[in-house]
Amino acid sequence: MIAAWRFTALVITILLSTTLWTSSAFGQPAPYDRPVDAAPQAKNIGGGYITPEVQKPLPRSYWLEVLDVALLAAAMILVSWLVLRRRNRAWLLLVTIASLAYFGFYREGCVCPIGSIQNVVVALTDPEYSIPIFVTAIFFLPLFMALFVGRAFCGGVCPLGAIQELVLLKPVRVPRRLDRTLGLLKYVYLALAIWYAAQPIADRDFVICRFDPFVSIFRRTGFAHMIGIGIGLLALSMFVGRPYCRYLCPYGELLSWCTRFASRGVTITPDKEIDCGLCADACPYGAIEKNRAVRKSCLYCARCYASCPRTGPMVPTVRSEAAASPDGGRS
Amino acid sequence: MSEGLTRREAMGHAARGLAAIGLGVTAFHLIRKADGQIVWQLDHGRCVNSRLGAVGVNTCNLCTSECVVAQSAVRAVNDFSKCGRCYICPAYYNVTSAVDESGLPSEKLCPRDAITRTMIGDADPEDPANNFYEYVIDETKCDGCGKCVMGCKEPAGLGSIRLAVRHDLCVDCNRCAIAMACPDDAFTQASVEEAFERLETKGGT
Repeated sequence: MIAAWRFTALVITILLSTTLWTSSAFGQPAPYDRPVDAAPQAKNIGGGYITPEVQKPLPRSYWLEVLDVALLAAAMILVSWLVLRRRNRAWLLLVTIASLAYFGFYREGCVCPIGSIQNVVVALTDPEYSIPIFVTAIFFLPLFMALFVGRAFCGGVCPLGAIQELVLLKPVRVPRRLDRTLGLLKYVYLALAIWYAAQPIADRDFVICRFDPFVSIFRRTGFAHMIGIGIGLLALSMFVGRPYCRYLCPYGELLSWCTRFASRGVTITPDKEIDCGLCADACPYGAIEKNRAVRKSCLYCARCYASCPRTGPMVPTVRSEAAASPDGGRS
Repeated sequence: MSEGLTRREAMGHAARGLAAIGLGVTAFHLIRKADGQIVWQLDHGRCVNSRLGAVGVNTCNLCTSECVVAQSAVRAVNDFSKCGRCYICPAYYNVTSAVDESGLPSEKLCPRDAITRTMIGDADPEDPANNFYEYVIDETKCDGCGKCVMGCKEPAGLGSIRLAVRHDLCVDCNRCAIAMACPDDAFTQASVEEAFERLETKGGT
């Protein structure tokens, strides 16, 4: 009895072990054990092996950040010179396209004074948080420019403005009362942005970046709803001049406060102009009232100059005093 | 009007000057507080894919899915000084897959085939299992899904692979989508030096 039992047990063991063996050899996962307990070093490995360094992709190098700030400053100076001195829209459009290409599509919308409002607020309210000098410069340079020459940043530097400027086909005049009312949204947006940025870190939110309508277009990727809003706004800005800048942009609001102190700005020359009102019809932003430019809402597009029968393409004189010079003011 | 300043012009200059001083003081305050460049970095002592003890859970791939950059700016890095150079690497092979005729698992773990395996050092021709193998992650292919990080984690591996931010791809969003989604708050902003320090050492733990 016992012998029979032993025999059966033996047969079962042999059968089991053979099935296990064959199954592991044909297509079953090998039992995995970690083969080593410590990392072998170069001397154990031999063969002249040198342990490679941990890969470290460096952040954007310092001189490139300096270049960004320099380009921002240069573009603003160029825009203000083209608009205020040359009164030339064609070259301004070229600068606008270049800014859109560099600050928009190349830098993917992220040298952005608009968003930097929030970083500045956080840095001012949170003692733990600080912003790089680069961001400080990006935030303050356009404001300083606005103190002296007005919203040159909006004119042809800001990529968000540029993309709307370039798609504007057939501007419709927004009724002044509606324009004013919608303009109040900027204050709400600015207040919300500051409020959410000033929250303690757990509740902090960067609403300007979160609802940036064009950044997903610049990056060619993003949340579906934001791409939808961006394309919708672009479609709208084919007929309404720069809806984001005029009704939403919180940084535009700060800039327009600064322009109240500006010593220069777009002027519809008060003394010798013929007051025909063509400039007011040409302004898609409602920034010409009673044939005079309103500094705080002027977005430096130079359409008024382009449409002017005195300074526009029809008469190639640039400034009224230059008209008297023998070379026709092109020097 | 032509000689000197009118009252209105003088007031204008004064107001502009005051505004400029105000902006300047704020800017100066911020510059004095400035602390170099700040980048997003992942603390792999907190990341569920590399954190010890979090074994058996599914790989968290929020770094891949949440990043606003098309191919996530997060990718896996192998710290070669800690790599075991195993014959059957649990991060390279899917060790639960069937064994093929050479005795190695038939499937690879990486869905994007970003890891290459090369034999290094003095070769033992008799037994391939006795040799060392180097695993290099191709950062142009990797999108930071974390499968290999989870595979290499102790006790299966030595935990030499961890996720890290590629600063050259990262667009430094104010509101990093990964940081918002990360369930372990492993994504934080740090100075460049600290970010690299975290990459070298087992950060946090």
